[in-house]
Amino acid sequence: MKPDSFERNQALASEFVVGTLQGAARKRFERWMMESPRLRRQVWYWERRLEPFNSSLPETEPPPALWNAIESRLFPAPPQATSERGFGLSFWRWTASLAMAAVLALLVWTPLPSQPASGLVAVVQSEQAQPLWVMNASAGDHSLTLKSLPPVAAGTDQDYELWLLSESGVPISLTVLPTEGAELRITLNDEQVRELLKSRSLAISLEPKGGSPTGQPTGPVVYQSQLVEM
Amino acid sequence: MDCDNERLVTLLARSAQGDRQSFASLYQQTSAALYGMCLHLLRNKDEAQDVLQETYIQVWHNAGEYHADRGTPITWLMSIGRYRCLDALRRRRHHVDFDQVASVKMSEDAGPMERADAQLDRQRLSDCLKDLDERYRSTIEMAYFRGFTHQELAVAMGQPLGTTKSLVRRGLSVLRRCLGS
Repeated sequence: MKPDSFERNQALASEFVVGTLQGAARKRFERWMMESPRLRRQVWYWERRLEPFNSSLPETEPPPALWNAIESRLFPAPPQATSERGFGLSFWRWTASLAMAAVLALLVWTPLPSQPASGLVAVVQSEQAQPLWVMNASAGDHSLTLKSLPPVAAGTDQDYELWLLSESGVPISLTVLPTEGAELRITLNDEQVRELLKSRSLAISLEPKGGSPTGQPTGPVVYQSQLVEM
Repeated sequence: MDCDNERLVTLLARSAQGDRQSFASLYQQTSAALYGMCLHLLRNKDEAQDVLQETYIQVWHNAGEYHADRGTPITWLMSIGRYRCLDALRRRRHHVDFDQVASVKMSEDAGPMERADAQLDRQRLSDCLKDLDERYRSTIEMAYFRGFTHQELAVAMGQPLGTTKSLVRRGLSVLRRCLGS
């Protein structure tokens, strides 16, 4: 049952921020938060009010290697494009194809990250906190269900395209989103599921009708959302 | 908004547009505070570093979600990091170092609150905590600074679970009345 009184909302929001709200109750609260701008504002109230707790703690410089790790996860170095003296072009082509085979093997053999038991959900909202799409992902059957809520409408010559923000920083196109109350269910491949479970970050861009012609976002990113466990 | 905050808001906004240099500056200027908090909560360097890494990955992807209602950029970053620390704590089966509980409760030294400087909101939180009944204050501090669950608080304080839950709830309710909106 959703919290229904101001006092109860306050109590739950404060316990969420302090951390004593836990387990299934915490997950339930996170879901309510996605649906209720009022509840989110109460959480933000407590985060702001209790912030002095955090800033009273001593600072510690993290080891320099940590930034390198973050950077290489977000922005992996592009492959070398130029060949070095002493090796012909065919050598590099051959090496590259071997490397590609290794990558493919890695993709095939990398086990999927641990999967949430009951699925992931995201609610995309407008700046006015109006829900626009509800997305449910199930790692079990690789499905992603996308339901648009009535306020969503794109221009006649445009579509909203859904992207998975992979940890490598390269967006992966998932689908063109339904509008005006329609629902769409798509099946994800192994790589998409793996990336989805890792990053859980989605973005929506405005593209020409039918989706981006280049395979990468060409229009503005209009919304971002995070999948959370149900 | 002071200069620091304004600068951080700019760095976040640029990071949201994919500016790596701004993201690197943001990390440089905020990571010591976040790492300090993670170390304090987790008391384990490896875990704190893992959480810090995940936190900034999330910050890069979600920088565009920051807005002023979330508080200052540092409030927002700390909240993301803190929830991740709490998740890491909950994944551990036994994280409570009960020897340290007594020292939290009995310490005569200046607590983290007393060290808070005179900035207005810090002062207000500090004043309100001082006015709180000792039992409320110590439960809230243990939950916040140690990440204790209700169950752990109950064990640490030698009280029934129900009593502990209502102590936390009443303590927070009194604190809110004092803090105002």
